[in-house]
Amino acid sequence: MAEMEAADMVVIDTVVNGRPVHRTVSARRLLSDFLRYDLQLTGTHVGCEHGVCGACTVLLDGQPVRSCLTLAAQVSGHHITTIEGVAEMPALPAATTEERVRHLHPVQQAFWEEHGLQCGYCTPGFVLTTIALLEAHPDPSDEEIRETLSGNICRCTGYRNIIRAVHRAKELWQTAPSTEGR
Amino acid sequence: MVDASNLVGQSVRRKEDVRLLTGHGQFVDDISLPGMLYAAVLRSPYPHARIRSVDVSGALRLDGVEAVITGDDAQQLGKPMAVTLDLFTKVPTIYPLAVNKVRYVGEPVAAVAATSREVAEDAVELIVVDYEPLPPIVSIEDAEQPTSLLYEEWGHNRQLDWQFQVGDVGSALAGADVVISEDFPHHRYTGVPLESRVCLADYRPGQGALTVWMSTQAPHQCRTLFAQSLGLPEHQITVIAPDVGGGFGTKLQINAELIPVLLSIKSGRPVKWTEDRYENLVSGVHTRDYVCHLEVGFRRDGTMTGVKASLVGNLGCDGTCDAAGTAALLVAAAYLPGPYHVPAFGVDVVGYVTNKAPYGAYRGYGKDIANYPMERLMEMAAEKLHIDPLELRRRNVIQPDEYPYQQISGPLYDSGDYPAMIAKAREVLDYENFRRQQDETRREGKYLGIGFAAMLEPSGAAVPNGIFNGYEPATVRMTPEGQFLVFTGNQDIGQGIETTLAQVAASQFGVSVDDVRVVFGDTNAVPYGLGSFSSRGATYAVSAVHRASVQLANKLKRIAANILEASAADLVFTQGAVEVAGVPSRRLTLQELGNKVYLWPGPYGTVPPGDDPDLQATETFMGPRVRWQPDEQGRINLYTTHPTGIYAAIVEVDPELGDVRLRRFVVIHDAGVIINPLIAEAQVVGGVVQGMGGALWEELRYDEEGQFLSGDLTSYLLPTAPEIPDVEVYHFVSPSPFTPLGTKGMGEGGTIPTPAAILNAVNDALRPLNVFLNDLPITPQKVRAALRQAGH
Repeated sequence: MAEMEAADMVVIDTVVNGRPVHRTVSARRLLSDFLRYDLQLTGTHVGCEHGVCGACTVLLDGQPVRSCLTLAAQVSGHHITTIEGVAEMPALPAATTEERVRHLHPVQQAFWEEHGLQCGYCTPGFVLTTIALLEAHPDPSDEEIRETLSGNICRCTGYRNIIRAVHRAKELWQTAPSTEGR
Repeated sequence: MVDASNLVGQSVRRKEDVRLLTGHGQFVDDISLPGMLYAAVLRSPYPHARIRSVDVSGALRLDGVEAVITGDDAQQLGKPMAVTLDLFTKVPTIYPLAVNKVRYVGEPVAAVAATSREVAEDAVELIVVDYEPLPPIVSIEDAEQPTSLLYEEWGHNRQLDWQFQVGDVGSALAGADVVISEDFPHHRYTGVPLESRVCLADYRPGQGALTVWMSTQAPHQCRTLFAQSLGLPEHQITVIAPDVGGGFGTKLQINAELIPVLLSIKSGRPVKWTEDRYENLVSGVHTRDYVCHLEVGFRRDGTMTGVKASLVGNLGCDGTCDAAGTAALLVAAAYLPGPYHVPAFGVDVVGYVTNKAPYGAYRGYGKDIANYPMERLMEMAAEKLHIDPLELRRRNVIQPDEYPYQQISGPLYDSGDYPAMIAKAREVLDYENFRRQQDETRREGKYLGIGFAAMLEPSGAAVPNGIFNGYEPATVRMTPEGQFLVFTGNQDIGQGIETTLAQVAASQFGVSVDDVRVVFGDTNAVPYGLGSFSSRGATYAVSAVHRASVQLANKLKRIAANILEASAADLVFTQGAVEVAGVPSRRLTLQELGNKVYLWPGPYGTVPPGDDPDLQATETFMGPRVRWQPDEQGRINLYTTHPTGIYAAIVEVDPELGDVRLRRFVVIHDAGVIINPLIAEAQVVGGVVQGMGGALWEELRYDEEGQFLSGDLTSYLLPTAPEIPDVEVYHFVSPSPFTPLGTKGMGEGGTIPTPAAILNAVNDALRPLNVFLNDLPITPQKVRAALRQAGH
């Protein structure tokens, strides 16, 4: 029921993309809704609302979690990384696509190079899942990549270019300087 | 850096990706307006029932609820839903919320707008509906014997009933050496874009103006359908489609989006509706779901004598207003002869309404229905005639020197080379060697199979009487600073048009794609175009952008010639400038040119007599060979270009588990001139994997009582990375003579032949065990049941 008692509200203290966040929210607020509607971090997309598609994946202390199956209240005291926190875009306007791409995280660069996205709706989830994979295993096999990505659904690409992008990301990451914010 | 002199044919990396990769895309649900309310919808639990009463008083008492609407409001505030497409169909009178009765599980009955989505969903629970259940019509057999009627005023359940014949098909079959005949049923499945339907409606009573942000493939037709369904003047309506998270044909109607619009009209506030996954599966458009009885006569040498077909579709509650799917059965009928020489042809088409979700469009739109029965039957015929299945197709396909080819059923095919593609398939599959290997592995108890399907992809529909009528305008404009804007009615739904249309324009002006911005998805900004469906982008939008760019380039040359005191014919565009060919010192950068025309000194000192300073051009492409006036045999031609292909699946079937593994998938594909190979190939691969899903896992299931069984993604299984092999794609280029650049559309090709190729491969694998499967999807249960029945 909609009548909110004070007891239904919870205070959460968390760090989102490196910035402290202190809010009072309804106890039933989902993490995905909290990020999208309370913090305006709309890069986290919701595809199924029941934890199958992986579009809403964010990193909780570096581990991928489904923000549609997580309550905002559960992340108090933890660090959250969303897609907006993966790369720092420069304040100055960059004229060309290639110049903008140079500022991206190696995983994002690899998805661009290999055309690993079409509509882009599932992409934040794939990028964050890939970052967590490569943080833990810098050199996964093709099978390990496919297994890791089995929790993320893409309807456009047929996965081929996503798999290629993850292989490419391995190479780029090994040569790239460490990126802040992940 | 890519060479900007001619970008057509280059794998330019996409312009649109950076915003999507960084979470800075803007999908409809990312947009909020001040005072915005959230919608939730009460849906029917019954497949077929009369509504005795709807009591919304409990919902209205809930704090935060601002408006509740029912079928009564839909009738008072709006009109019957407008027709999307009506070709030989019966059109029901229906509303976006059920009036008097419900006709499928999931049909909207009432809706709430409240200050949060949580409150709106709580309020929906408080609405009380009194239903009187009616006998459900679920199967085609139920619908044929109308003990119960969806639309009582019709007196039957047929929405479509159409026959067509050219030549004496009866004699053609009677004179054949062998007639192969089979019923090919096809299950119900659909596109499932990862972004479901989302709509933010903002009705401003002070202006009488309505703005709708929605996830759609066709903003302009939606605007017209809103005007007709609401009785609002169309010029007061704006439809905006920002980033769209996939469409695949399923976002070409407004039936659901009318609900937040009505809530906004009733409440006077902006209302957002975000469809959840259950709603999308239960009420988003469904497709396929038909049985095709096909008879094909062959001579001993394998050549066809005639084709006779009877196609019966299970359309759910409607495919004319609720969605635009019914006409797909007619497209199927026109394309059943496929890529083959067919001396005589006859087809009967019937579409029945049933108590299932609306029948809409999905990647294929009947071209898949034309393909599946014929390509299944070709492999059965090959076995019966003892002719190799590739060889049988080779003996029947249209030869490259026969194009343009008038197909017996009406379509005019533009170009292609099936014999060369068949030869290529043999080569890349190492076909003879595979057959030897297949025999050896069978002896080891391993069941490998290979299956083929020829592909024909009519692209760019021009269907009369509705929203798919086939033309596209484009405006290309140069700014005073020398960059370019392309305004298109084509809609970005992930297929890369911000890059490919920029490539087409940039090639005319010697600039890079970063110097061209493609503007789309706003009915106030772009010309009335038809959006993205029917693989029409590279047929229609590309051709329009190319022609508008050429026209503008000529104008720019005339003006530059006047300034440079040169002849326009001597000028070329290169490296962001226009110069006298061979005399680089006599040049103007495009920035200088734009500045001179618009600012310093301005038009009177720069523009030659007879020209003006309006640096833009608009061109509209119409299919040059589309013909709606029937010829003497009653034939029409609705499509302009026809990509071709040969597809092959190699599978391994585990007889113990019934499990089908995809080992290889090879695509030989010809879509004419390719603008961006990277993007084009990805379209093929993505389409193939949707076909794999339909062949092996995806099904929208109903039980015998009409209850829906596939309401989440654990019961509706989508392909994921581990099951999918790397799709191998080989390109041929047979330029279309009917488009200025030789391009053809190509978005659906992958999905069309893939189910037939896979089931053919499964049957090939299990042939030694005398098993013949005829049902999709090919689940382990079905494979095991067939094996058990055959005594294994």
